[in-house]
Amino acid sequence: MGKAKTRKVECMIHTENLCKTYRMGDVVVQALRDVNMEIKDGEFVAIIGPSGSGKSTLLNLLGCLDKPTSGAVFIGGTDTASLSENALAEIRREKIGFIFQQFNLIHTLNALENVALPMFFAGVGRDVRLKKAEELLVKVELGERMYHKPSELSGGQQQRVAIARSLSNDPAIIIGDEPTGNVDTDTGTAIMQILEGLNREGKTIIVVTHDAEIAARAGRTKRMRDGKVLE
Amino acid sequence: MKDAFLLVYRNIRERKTRSILTMLGIVVGIAAVVAIMSISYGMQESITEQLSEMTDIIMVTPGSQELGSFGEFGSFTERDLNDVERISGVKEAAAMMGEMQEVEYRGEKVMVEIVGIKPRDMDAVFGSTVKLEEDSGSGISASGRELRENDRKACQIGYSIANDYFDYEIGVNDRLTINGSKFRVIGVLEKQGGFRSNVDAQIYVTKRDAIDIFGTNDISSIFVRVRDIEEAEAIADEIGEQIDDNHKLDDFTSAMAMGGAIEDLNSIFQVLQVFLLAIVSISLIVAAMGIMNTTLMSVMERTHEIGVMKAIGAKNRNILFLFLMEAGVVSGIGGVLGCIVGWGAAEVISFGIYSAFDVEIAVVMKLQVLLGGVAIAVLVGILSGFYPARKASKLSPVEAVRYE
Repeated sequence: MGKAKTRKVECMIHTENLCKTYRMGDVVVQALRDVNMEIKDGEFVAIIGPSGSGKSTLLNLLGCLDKPTSGAVFIGGTDTASLSENALAEIRREKIGFIFQQFNLIHTLNALENVALPMFFAGVGRDVRLKKAEELLVKVELGERMYHKPSELSGGQQQRVAIARSLSNDPAIIIGDEPTGNVDTDTGTAIMQILEGLNREGKTIIVVTHDAEIAARAGRTKRMRDGKVLE
Repeated sequence: MKDAFLLVYRNIRERKTRSILTMLGIVVGIAAVVAIMSISYGMQESITEQLSEMTDIIMVTPGSQELGSFGEFGSFTERDLNDVERISGVKEAAAMMGEMQEVEYRGEKVMVEIVGIKPRDMDAVFGSTVKLEEDSGSGISASGRELRENDRKACQIGYSIANDYFDYEIGVNDRLTINGSKFRVIGVLEKQGGFRSNVDAQIYVTKRDAIDIFGTNDISSIFVRVRDIEEAEAIADEIGEQIDDNHKLDDFTSAMAMGGAIEDLNSIFQVLQVFLLAIVSISLIVAAMGIMNTTLMSVMERTHEIGVMKAIGAKNRNILFLFLMEAGVVSGIGGVLGCIVGWGAAEVISFGIYSAFDVEIAVVMKLQVLLGGVAIAVLVGILSGFYPARKASKLSPVEAVRYE
């Protein structure tokens, strides 16, 4: 573990023999089998594959939401398996922005407050927070709808709020779990354009999708099947 | 902090009915505590106030040690009184004679306690607390005057005798028939109520008249005032021994120093308060379970939301804090409302006691009771919110996000 921690790597994220098994009653499901992959700084990677192929599991591990059964995930050279729950929360907060298929906005908060929430957890002062949130909403072209609750926004608008939220602590990595899965094609394209723009600004972007057209827009595509990454 | 409040407030409002019901539990609990405390403080205060002028009194009665059993086991003599007066440290000794007698007014006959006392002793017995009824301002003297040594067939009557005992109200200069002889009312005493309500139901005559009415000069009780309150207990013992000697009996006399009785009463009140609080805290336990239940449900319903918050970087303690705060805010508001309701309830109870028993108990609202009430509410809320909040904070982010 110590060796892993100090090891110098040029890539932002890489995995070593990553395995994840779930136990469902008596049945053991091998969701990931020996996944070795590298994602470099500033890359735009799409992970595609049929459902059950393990792509969401991989994404959860890359996003520090879950811990591997064996193997390791390195983020900026740090082995995440050695980190405490709190340290993982800090990585999620500072280094990673999450975008979900279901948008997952907090429905009691308006767009502005939702975008400011990760900064609230980071202890950023209220004024700074709200100003930054406002800028981010303007950036995703929702400057007019800042005070609307999620229920008053369309799916595409909600996903743009979610993108703004993922950017609020200025992370290096944006992880999207089927970010276009719940919106129509045109909106999906628009969302991809935003992500492409972010990639041009230097963000590393990893999205899971089963839409080949969306995947085609990414710089690199990884195909998964039965818990393995096929090159 | 402000945003945490906002977040918490939105969640509380989101589940308005449930929050209000939870709050209601706390409101009832705290209201009960506040009402009970302020009423019992009021009781304690009114009783000690009434008794405070009696701390230098030793009440000497024949027979049993119990309060309120006058002259049932014999009586004292002139000699006893003289001996008591001679004991050092005794400032004044006043003899009282009391007996139930038939009193007639405008054809109506009622049994009333007649008390015979030397007029100069009245002050010794009552101090300044018993006064003639205030002139109502009608210009006619409705209150009369004090009894005098040379008054014959004259009486002072208690407030209830004047107003409640007979169909007709009795005023100064009206005439009553006591045991066959006519007496003139020369004064009506101010209402006493409470601990001294017995005075309201008595008729006072001079000692000489009492001897005529009762046909005996037996003394039913002796009131002693001492010079030094510190010595009261010792003097009381001496009085008891002296009179017992006179009658060649053991435990014939009960001599009770009122100062000690007041202390006893205060400690009884403290025990009573603790006991009442113990009963009332049951309602707080019920309220605590309500909060725990609500918070648990809230955690379950918001599992997904907790997962999302964790995914975007919330630490366990951020989640813990939000849920503790929610429980704390609900119970804090409940505590404040409980104080208000409790105060109102105390006033209603006080009025109820006054209407039903004619006893005036002021509501004594102490700031520390109110602040304590709110503090207890918040504490109960946070303590009972702790288990659910901790459960929420420990949720695995992946599983929580997946939970729908």
